[in-house]
Amino acid sequence: MKTLLRQHRYALIITLRRLAAQPFSSLANILVMALALALPLLGGTILVSAEPVTRQLSVTPEVTAYLQVDAPETAATQLAQRVRQEQSERVQDVRVMRRADALAELRTNPAWSAALSVLPDNPLPDAVIIRLADGEDLAQRASALAREIGTWERVDRVQLDSAWVQRLEALLRFARIGLLFLAVCVAAVVLATVFNTVRMQALSQREEIGVARLVGATESFVRRPFLYLGALSGAIAAIVAIALARAILAPLNGALASLARSYGAEFALHLPPASLLIVGIVVTAALGALSARWSVTRNTRF
Amino acid sequence: MIQFQHVFKSYGRSRNILADINFEVSAGEFVFVSGPSGAGKSTLLKLIAGLEPPTRGSVQVNGQRLEKMRPRSRPYLRRAVGVILQDTHLLFDRSVVDNVILPLVVTGHSRTVALARARAALEKVDLSGKEDMKPIELSGGEQQRLAIARAIVNRPAILIADEPTANLDHASAQRIMKVFQDFNQVGVTTLIASHDHALMSGYASRTLHIDQSRFSDFPGVRA
Repeated sequence: MKTLLRQHRYALIITLRRLAAQPFSSLANILVMALALALPLLGGTILVSAEPVTRQLSVTPEVTAYLQVDAPETAATQLAQRVRQEQSERVQDVRVMRRADALAELRTNPAWSAALSVLPDNPLPDAVIIRLADGEDLAQRASALAREIGTWERVDRVQLDSAWVQRLEALLRFARIGLLFLAVCVAAVVLATVFNTVRMQALSQREEIGVARLVGATESFVRRPFLYLGALSGAIAAIVAIALARAILAPLNGALASLARSYGAEFALHLPPASLLIVGIVVTAALGALSARWSVTRNTRF
Repeated sequence: MIQFQHVFKSYGRSRNILADINFEVSAGEFVFVSGPSGAGKSTLLKLIAGLEPPTRGSVQVNGQRLEKMRPRSRPYLRRAVGVILQDTHLLFDRSVVDNVILPLVVTGHSRTVALARARAALEKVDLSGKEDMKPIELSGGEQQRLAIARAIVNRPAILIADEPTANLDHASAQRIMKVFQDFNQVGVTTLIASHDHALMSGYASRTLHIDQSRFSDFPGVRA
């Protein structure tokens, strides 16, 4: 056990010595990997930060039927009753929003109150807000219901309120798949960079490898410093990538906060949790070691 | 200690470098391997060190059959065989002492033990006080003695050397040979490949002569 620990310590010292012997080359390789890793990390950060926002928004489609402005007061109630009777299985909740209540609610928003105060009378119609029951094909059912209600008497316009949320969901799904492909490409970049670094190192250490074999070194002993080189390069690159992403997020969040405030919201981009980042560092180190093993096996057959 | 039975060695489809070689070396013997350049002396030593497998036949070293040995087991055989090649294969970016401790690092000795044994090995080859120098600062003879120190630091049962006195003046060559003789006298089986007949006649108890595919074994004359 002690022997193995000593051999690992020796391999680590040799690795650090080799990295230090070519500081610019080592730094350039690590920087290339770090920049490549920073891209999916930033993409992941945006996704992770956007998901809670989309969760807060209703993804259950709501259909709002606006009645004609001159429709009698009873029309909204009648429409709500008809929806309850004819669509009882497809509908979870139906409520009437009176035009006076809508106006009062709108006046509480300072951005609108000034504009509404100059209007001679209430321009808003009565509305019926229909929330659909959960189930499959929600989006299609919502669209079908909206089309049907749109044909009913005294209905001026029907709006599918959560369509944009669904579009956002679809966009996030697309982004998630895109990010996965990006992560695979970055993994390939890490593999290729470590492979090439180890290949160059193996060729430059040819004499030392030969001597080590001559005096009885096992292949594990010969490979070990290269595996450390791959793992260390991967781990350092991942840490640099996290630092880079943090550095980029600071000015981005500054600009984003001003934008979000103008919409009366709070939004900021946050890196994934520390546990996930640690897993990322470990995975990148493992990927580096794997690539190093592949490279050293191929390039030390002499 | 070393036994060759009908050993052939060739590389690819080239002609046999060694053809039907048979000999035996007992423990503690001092043997010269002679022959002209290209006769196969270096190849013979590489087979003994487990650096190359035989193409055909049986090579037995220190009780182990090389042709049946798995590649991953060969490094353990090499630890029992101290090898000094014609090109010293020193690491010129490391100090003298770091070159000598390498076989002990490979076997996982602590640095304290390794340094103590390396200093003792350097003393035996008369290189004390040069531990922190770089090999490039040493003369040709000193570099050869450094290679010997590295080969003996692991206390091998067999010591093999390929043309260890080539390119050295007579005095340096005699000094190197004296070092080999000292190790042989404490029981280390020693095989030296050389084409210097004058040198051989002073030290060897036996000479194995290789010339193309002919192989002869005759007693030498000790000084």
